[in-house]
Amino acid sequence: MFNLPVTNIGGSELFVLEFGDIVNYFSVYTAALFAFALIFTALAIVSRPEKMVDIAFGGDAYYTKEIDPGLLRFQRFMAIACGLATLGAVVSGDVFNFTLFVSMVGITNIGIVAAYKNKHVLNAAFQYGIVAMLATVPLFGGAAIVLATTGTLSLWELYTAAVAVPLIAKIFLVLGVMGEGMAPFYIAKAEITRAQGAPFILMVHVSSLLVFLRVVEIVISM
Amino acid sequence: MTRPGLVISRISRVLSDYENLSALYALLVVGGVIIGIVTLPFIGYDDDQLYPKTLDPSSSLHPYDRGGEPFGTTDVAAQYPENSPYLGYVTAYLTPFSAFLADSTMHLGTTIVSHPGGITDEILYNTRGLDTVVETSILFVAFAIAAYLFRREE
Repeated sequence: MFNLPVTNIGGSELFVLEFGDIVNYFSVYTAALFAFALIFTALAIVSRPEKMVDIAFGGDAYYTKEIDPGLLRFQRFMAIACGLATLGAVVSGDVFNFTLFVSMVGITNIGIVAAYKNKHVLNAAFQYGIVAMLATVPLFGGAAIVLATTGTLSLWELYTAAVAVPLIAKIFLVLGVMGEGMAPFYIAKAEITRAQGAPFILMVHVSSLLVFLRVVEIVISM
Repeated sequence: MTRPGLVISRISRVLSDYENLSALYALLVVGGVIIGIVTLPFIGYDDDQLYPKTLDPSSSLHPYDRGGEPFGTTDVAAQYPENSPYLGYVTAYLTPFSAFLADSTMHLGTTIVSHPGGITDEILYNTRGLDTVVETSILFVAFAIAAYLFRREE
């Protein structure tokens, strides 16, 4: 019934999931993004950073880190929510649905970062929060311009050659996704491997990367 | 504190400071808006809208009046009508609990508006149901973050 009009990224669709007017599709490209998001969501579910120990190099000594179980519990919840939002965003077949999932990714990213009590991290989280809040304007503005100028939101219609999406809508979509996923460019890289809750910090990076790859596909195909 | 250096190292010094993050993003958005203003004359409103909206200030439901006839069959526009076989039938979208109430009591009609599948949200729940689910999830996550930050001990 459905045939993807543009097949230059990831080929034709492998599987189509229909939610009324929102028709999600799995091409090779989006299915690969989906698989990545699925793997990292599973990692966030099974990882147990509460039991983290550091072994002193060159000796028998080891020491356990000070762990706050409440913090990790909340961060695990946020990381799983972030993973689910990423799963939705990378296969979404509808512009507005995509922007909703992206803004959910942004909010959960803020939640993961803001849960720390470190002053520097909280200062950074405040800045991310401002940017993510600002980014909703171009993000949903882009979707609104798409709807106003083309009369539809479905990517299946927008990908056809007959429908021309204005440049400004594409620019706004990319700007919005950049704002929602800007945290990875600024978070301290040492946090990824050394801090407690490292798998959850990793989720911030993975989700932003995958969502950005998806918006590139959408903007090029439109 | 300014140190001498190549232009690129000075730029990267500015970028590496997260205090400049919102200013940097604002600069990008302003650039986008300028492009938007320049290209504004070439952007036209498409009259063939899939989700039409008309405002009727005299309606008691203004501005939420989406048209249609309560408890009747209403023509609803859909991108893919074949995915929504029950389009326009308001009472076809009861949740399992509401369906149970409707089957076991005679009084669900008085609360139909407050149920998922009520009158005003009919188009949302039918053709764009996933949007409604995600919107609710965003609210839930935002409240969860606020509750955690508010309740944690210093």
